[in-house]
Amino acid sequence: MHVHIPDGFLDPVTAGACYAVFIAYTAYAIYRSRALMDQETSILASLLAAGIFAAQMLNWPLPGGTSLHMVGGGLAGILLGPWLGELTMFLVLLVQCLLFHDGGITALGANVLNMGIVDVLLGYALFRLLTKRGGGKRTRALAGAFLGGWLGIALAGIACGLEIGYSPAFPYGVAISVPVMGLWHFGLGLIEGAVTALVVDYLMRKSPSLILSLR
Amino acid sequence: MATSLVERKRALLAILALVVVSPLFGIVGAELVGYHEPLDLAAEVLGREEVEGLWWSPFPDYTVPGLAEDWLSLSLGYVISGVIGVCVILAVGIVLSRLVKR
Repeated sequence: MHVHIPDGFLDPVTAGACYAVFIAYTAYAIYRSRALMDQETSILASLLAAGIFAAQMLNWPLPGGTSLHMVGGGLAGILLGPWLGELTMFLVLLVQCLLFHDGGITALGANVLNMGIVDVLLGYALFRLLTKRGGGKRTRALAGAFLGGWLGIALAGIACGLEIGYSPAFPYGVAISVPVMGLWHFGLGLIEGAVTALVVDYLMRKSPSLILSLR
Repeated sequence: MATSLVERKRALLAILALVVVSPLFGIVGAELVGYHEPLDLAAEVLGREEVEGLWWSPFPDYTVPGLAEDWLSLSLGYVISGVIGVCVILAVGIVLSRLVKR
């Protein structure tokens, strides 16, 4: 399901509050990422951003007027951690917004908050939680990546529902928007979880050094 | 650690493959099932419209201005948009890699 909020769906207060969170988090993310940024990491992060951008273009239409595409925030969090992962998603969302009108400029703060902060943090946290203790490493990594990808999307959907629901501009309140968005993403997020797990598993076997959050 | 050139090449090929097949989903599949954006549908039901014109985008909704509206041209525009997006993102990465410490 498409979670890029267009212009005109959020009232100024909600949009502004989301922008404030997004700017504060991004500023801190830049500060925290400076230490680990080198030439390799810049290239790696931009390759991941390009991959996520391309994957989001595979917009899988479902009968009944909805669609499914990868978001990739959980994956970014798992591979690059909570700071660089957010910056990577921000780059994707910024390009989508500026060049392709995909997600409104006034809703950029909310879109980064949902897909670049909530999704990234949950993906990172669940993956770290399950891989922290060794033993059955591959199974744990698969489970952590799956849960991170899945629940990251579910929570991003709930956050999107909250923002839209709290906007007086949108006549349905949170009592409707949150369960609808949450349930949809809870269901569709299973596929995001599966793809996230497959990508992480592949990288762990082929090039484990690319998974920065495991270092 | 270093992403080897082979790994980068492999990643680029995978990204290119995604962009090339993307119209099968975004354009052709959407046509088949009569897809509309859920948020657009909600707006229609509620009599609200997406506020356009706050920002000008060169390739709105992954279309290339001037191309025809049939599915083949739309698919071509979708792929061109995808390639442009990927190039812009990679360019940011390359500029950053020049700026950061070695």
